[in-house]
Amino acid sequence: MSERSIEARKKQLMKMFQRVIDPLGYKFNPDNELVDFIMEQEVKLEREAGAPFCPCQALPERREDRMKLVCPCIPYHRKHFDAMKACWCQLYVHKDITDTSQLEQIPITELE
Amino acid sequence: MNAGGVNLKENNKWVSVSVSSEFSDGSMKVVSVGDQRILLIQVQGKIYGIENTCIHMNCPMHRGLLEGYTIKCPCHDWEFDIRTGEHLMADELKIPVFECKIDENDVLIKMEG
Amino acid sequence: MAKIVMYTLSTCPWCKKAKTFFEENDITFESIDYDLEDKESQKEIITKMKELGGTTATPFVIIDDIVIVGYRPKEYAKALNLGDGSE
Ligand code: SF4
Ligand code: FES
Repeated sequence: MSERSIEARKKQLMKMFQRVIDPLGYKFNPDNELVDFIMEQEVKLEREAGAPFCPCQALPERREDRMKLVCPCIPYHRKHFDAMKACWCQLYVHKDITDTSQLEQIPITELE
Repeated sequence: MNAGGVNLKENNKWVSVSVSSEFSDGSMKVVSVGDQRILLIQVQGKIYGIENTCIHMNCPMHRGLLEGYTIKCPCHDWEFDIRTGEHLMADELKIPVFECKIDENDVLIKMEG
Repeated sequence: MAKIVMYTLSTCPWCKKAKTFFEENDITFESIDYDLEDKESQKEIITKMKELGGTTATPFVIIDDIVIVGYRPKEYAKALNLGDGSE
């Protein structure tokens, strides 16, 4: 996979995902380096595993479970991510977030 | 007039895209109007129209699975209500829908603008 | 000394940060990149994660019998009695 084709696919995915996250109240993390790293992982996962799966959650075997971990997985983890004001990977953050250093990963079990 | 291989009988904004004899419950058919691809689906005698493109990653919805009023995208299983176009888990996410009706034998779609 | 096992992914930025935290504090740990394991071990790991933490989110850190899911330096420090954990 050439560097160029990774970059091109990254851009395509980001354009499609922007369309999904916007109505849900999220934006891409202002930390470009983090976004860049995560998107690159997703492009690689897409080539290897067939879909841009989450790079931060272990992929189970069953299709039904895996499909809930295709990015953006926000619809399936709405309450959890809304409480953290970010998705688990922090690829996406709530639109009002400017200082990402206040964000923290909190497992769903602690929020229930 | 011809748009994307479909005979248009324009009636205000209503556009004729198919004939009702081609439909029975559960049948799906993709039609083109201008540059739009629209998926027509009949459920309980009524025809519904949604854009044939998934809002997630643009997969064609006509290969998806229909169950009741729910269509499941073939690519990553996102589920939408064909009556509203809404994602079942997040109603802010919508596939555009088109009002449809049957006039005599014609299936008509209401096109905006 | 505490026994530390970490389930991680080679693709996950927060897992890298978690590893760095333990390295910088000179704490020995074992980390297992789930995505690089074979199918059989993956199944075992998933079962274990669900059982212990009810999630498959990573990093999944086990310090003795304390489970800490996520990159949470303050929680790691607390579990290890390292003071306030500020970096
Ligand atoms: S946690 Fe974030 S990066 Fe991971 S799949 Fe969900 S939305 Fe995408
Ligand atoms: S393209 Fe439809 S669910 Fe992904």
